[in-house]
Amino acid sequence: MIEIRGHARGGQGMVTAFEMLAKIFSYRYNFEVQAFPFFGVERTGAPIQAYLRISSAPIQVRSYIYQPNMVIVFDEGLMENSALIDGLTTDGTLIINSDKSPQSFKGKASRIVTVPATRISVERKLGSISLPIVNAAMVGAVLRVLDADVHEAAEIIKLEVPIKPEANVEAAITAFNNINEFVDTLFRLQQSNGSAAKASKPDSPVPFWDKPMSVNKTGSWRVVAPKYETREAPCTYNCPAGTDVRRFVDLAAKGKFEEAHELIYEHNPFPAICGRVCPHFCQQSCNRIYLDGNVNIGAIERFIGDFKKGRKKSPVPISKNEKIAVVGSGPAGLTAALRLRNLGYPVTVYEAMPKAGGMMRSGIPRFRLPEDVLDDEIKQIEEQGVTIITGKKVTVAELEDHYSAIITAVGSHIGMGLNLGSQSGISDGIEFLRDVNINKKTGQLNRGDILAVIGGGNTAVDVARTALRFGAVPTIYYRRTKQEMPAIAHEVEEAIKEGVKLEFLSAPVAVEPGNHGMLKMIIQKMELGEPDESGRRRPVPVPGSEEFISVHKVIAAIGQSSDHSVFSGSPVKARQGLMEFDEPVYKTPVFCAGDMAWGGTVVEAIGSGNDVAKETHAFLNGKTWEKEESTLPITSYDEINTAWFMPAPSHATPMKIPANLLDNFDEVAGNLSRDTVMEEAKRCLHCGECFNCGNCLNFCPDAAIYIDEENRLRVNYDYCKGCGVCVRECPSSAIHYSDLI
Amino acid sequence: MPESSTTEQSLTEDQVLPNNHTKKVMKGNIAAAVAAKLCRVSLVTAYPITPQTSIIEEITSMIDRGEFDATSVNMESEHSVFAALKGASLVGERVFTATSGQGLLYAHEVLHAIAHMRLPIVACNVGRPSFPWNIWADQTDSISQRDTGWIQFYCESSQEVLDTIIQSYKLAEKLQLPVMVVLDAFYLSHTSENVYLPDQSLADTFLPPAVRENNRVDTEQPRSFGGLVGPNMYDEYNRLYWEDINKVEKATNTIGREFSEIFGRTYGAVEAVNIHNNTKKILVTMATITTTARQVIDDYPDTGLLKIRLFKPFPKKSILEAMKPAGDGCTIITIDRNFTGDTEGALMQEMKRALFGKSVKISGVYAGLGGRDVSAGTIEKIINLDVNSPLTDEVTWIK
Repeated sequence: MIEIRGHARGGQGMVTAFEMLAKIFSYRYNFEVQAFPFFGVERTGAPIQAYLRISSAPIQVRSYIYQPNMVIVFDEGLMENSALIDGLTTDGTLIINSDKSPQSFKGKASRIVTVPATRISVERKLGSISLPIVNAAMVGAVLRVLDADVHEAAEIIKLEVPIKPEANVEAAITAFNNINEFVDTLFRLQQSNGSAAKASKPDSPVPFWDKPMSVNKTGSWRVVAPKYETREAPCTYNCPAGTDVRRFVDLAAKGKFEEAHELIYEHNPFPAICGRVCPHFCQQSCNRIYLDGNVNIGAIERFIGDFKKGRKKSPVPISKNEKIAVVGSGPAGLTAALRLRNLGYPVTVYEAMPKAGGMMRSGIPRFRLPEDVLDDEIKQIEEQGVTIITGKKVTVAELEDHYSAIITAVGSHIGMGLNLGSQSGISDGIEFLRDVNINKKTGQLNRGDILAVIGGGNTAVDVARTALRFGAVPTIYYRRTKQEMPAIAHEVEEAIKEGVKLEFLSAPVAVEPGNHGMLKMIIQKMELGEPDESGRRRPVPVPGSEEFISVHKVIAAIGQSSDHSVFSGSPVKARQGLMEFDEPVYKTPVFCAGDMAWGGTVVEAIGSGNDVAKETHAFLNGKTWEKEESTLPITSYDEINTAWFMPAPSHATPMKIPANLLDNFDEVAGNLSRDTVMEEAKRCLHCGECFNCGNCLNFCPDAAIYIDEENRLRVNYDYCKGCGVCVRECPSSAIHYSDLI
Repeated sequence: MPESSTTEQSLTEDQVLPNNHTKKVMKGNIAAAVAAKLCRVSLVTAYPITPQTSIIEEITSMIDRGEFDATSVNMESEHSVFAALKGASLVGERVFTATSGQGLLYAHEVLHAIAHMRLPIVACNVGRPSFPWNIWADQTDSISQRDTGWIQFYCESSQEVLDTIIQSYKLAEKLQLPVMVVLDAFYLSHTSENVYLPDQSLADTFLPPAVRENNRVDTEQPRSFGGLVGPNMYDEYNRLYWEDINKVEKATNTIGREFSEIFGRTYGAVEAVNIHNNTKKILVTMATITTTARQVIDDYPDTGLLKIRLFKPFPKKSILEAMKPAGDGCTIITIDRNFTGDTEGALMQEMKRALFGKSVKISGVYAGLGGRDVSAGTIEKIINLDVNSPLTDEVTWIK
């Protein structure tokens, strides 16, 4: 009887090879056979064993093979394990899948055979390059060593292999003809002298349950490596102010509102304001929108802002000589002023209006942004040492002699008129809001006035909602449809709930005097055509569809432009950062930020203010500054393993729409409770960032994940065999395949 | 499988084989599946569990390839597996299933019902222990079902698995009793070896189509099954059952002889090896441990081997007959690959019962539990036990 023991890695086809050999020796040579695997829990890459007995008499033993006549090694890497040849008889044969010469394994057995089975199999595309299936080639080599005929075996090999029968037979024949053999005549002598290792008590080279798995360094099997890699979350990526949204939401989930406020403040000194009025690009791009509703980041930010209402922070000492002037106390100007003041510069902000805040004060109605909230966050900035001079309209020319740098952030607050004729009763939306908010003028509208508001942006919606509170009956006329409205979607919904009517695909083309002191407005009906450069479908007039309506007042809110009086009326090319002038040439560097440069929302102005501060600081230090753009991939919803997130509907911001709107400027949106905010924050999917859930640790079949000294989950590459289970089971796509490590 | 004009049949054409047989290299589990096909089973219900699963996989593959005309149903649990077989058997179908370990334990309640409703169901159990969790060879699962009323056979080779299943249907249908055919996990279930596969014609000659004439669900003659039985009748059902269970041992030997006439291989309730008037020790084994013991006793002329093939009902008469040559005064060593929580293993308990009143010393070992390898060295250790030592009195744990 010949007893053969095989050693391989799971996936190389050894069990099938032994089954093939059993069939060959039974069917072709009429031997008794017994082939069986080591009975364990087998998986790809793990060392496995198989056994084969071939006998001319009935086989009367059913146990593992402890003293084989032949040991077959399918994976050369396993040769490191000295237990591999345990019990091999002194005249036994060792067959190794290797490109090396048999002499290089001298001392392991008296007869050593090598066969380049991996090379032969890869050449015939058996298996993959990372996991070649070498069984047919190894069968060929064993047949040669046992003096069998490989051609006799061809039909059986073809039947046994699941695919590529011809290539497998070819591999067997090639291996049969390409073995390298070395007979070590001294080996047996050395064995009898006891100089070579002899297994007294055969042990299993397969790590078993009562043996440490640590001896099995599966890392040598790896062809691709998982790696922890933080990527962009859409929320953070889409914040124009650069706020680390993912992180502040995580802090909020843990109830760390103090830290969350600090974190937001690094990028945005107006969390309470933005929590109320920001369109929340973060929230709009939240991946959870595809699961069960985006995370209500606005409500979380608002809570964090309010949490630190009345916050006191002392100014840092003035450490710089260069005085800086900021023109305009909107979000861009105040942000830039604060950043530079915190760098030690003396900073003065000039504001033409009687109170600071810019468009936050003049353009946003109080029922969206209560005055105390606005006042508080501006006061916090003043307490940090920023001087604000209000009621003083200045020009660059007046300031240049007194400052080392001037930042102009005067905004974009001049309404663009509609060419509808010059009837009285037509006014401008942004002016209307400024009159209401700052000058407290309330007489422009009478109760019962039928009002046409032209436009689809936030100004139009704010005008209509304000008009309702004066008792007017507003209708918004917009030339496209609801989907294309640039206004914040939930503001539109609130306006509708309050009673604002909307007419879509309607563009006013003329306003004429009507009867009874009313105005006759001619509306051109539109239809949507091809998309324009903004991606929205262009409204196209429908011929012959003009309609006439009668209204008391018309307020146009179709866009704003900047007031260039700060440059003494000279036309300028407004753009973010250092400005260039044809005429006059200023002695002092002049920078530009805010709506005048780009954007149109508070958060964009804040981002602009952050950037201009950095550029100004660099300039004053004789350096140039360029905005760094993230090159990390943005985590998409498809990359999130949603199986790990329990369904959890979003907690909506509570809305208190008063039954009687007349003269009621109370805030409409309410606050979520502390507990609800934490619950809402816990809905975060942690896109692209490890949040220590431990799935990788739990799932890794090789226990190759550990917690490092910084309490981070990390991969132990000695044992990681690259199976990718961690990558698949990571809920938040924080582990990715990388090249071999 | 690839399309090929070659069949395995043509590969052994030069060899001398038993009449109407094909030589195959197959695993015990495959032999079980093929046996179900040869017996023309019409329904197979199953629930997967290691190490049984490849039996059901092979059966469903054969059904899928159109080689096996049967219905297979993947049930939601083993309890349902056996309950469904019970129903199908009641209308006269020949049915089959296979399970292991926890699966068999889960079906425990239905096993009683099947036996006492006198349903000739044949089921394979690939033995594994109950707890601690383990998937390797062990007979605790089936041994713990010995009081359910099922007949139990323990098999030594793939050939014996195939042959025993064929004989089991004959026995089951003759006495209207269920039969459990037990394989050792891996040592049999996953070991490829030579098997002589009989032609379908042989199986058909031996095993006529299933006919259930009485005690069957018949819409033309409505009756109730499984109803409440009062004290005035209950013991009578048991007594009738007892009468038939007493016939099993003899019927096993008779059917074994009938089988040999058609297939050329003989089977009985027990098998005696090297038991003669000089025998001093007799090893009592079941299943695959027997094979290794056969080899070892070649070197121990005074040691005999008694293989228990029919375990339930325990074949007392056949055992006494087999041991007769050795006479009084020899030592019995039972090898139990089961642990049922008692001081003695099940085989030792049963042997003591069978040999009550005889002047033999009965010693026993626990060996091979939970898949521990029983090598030739282990068997030698058992043979060389000092059975007179007080330390080894009665039971020894062997590693």
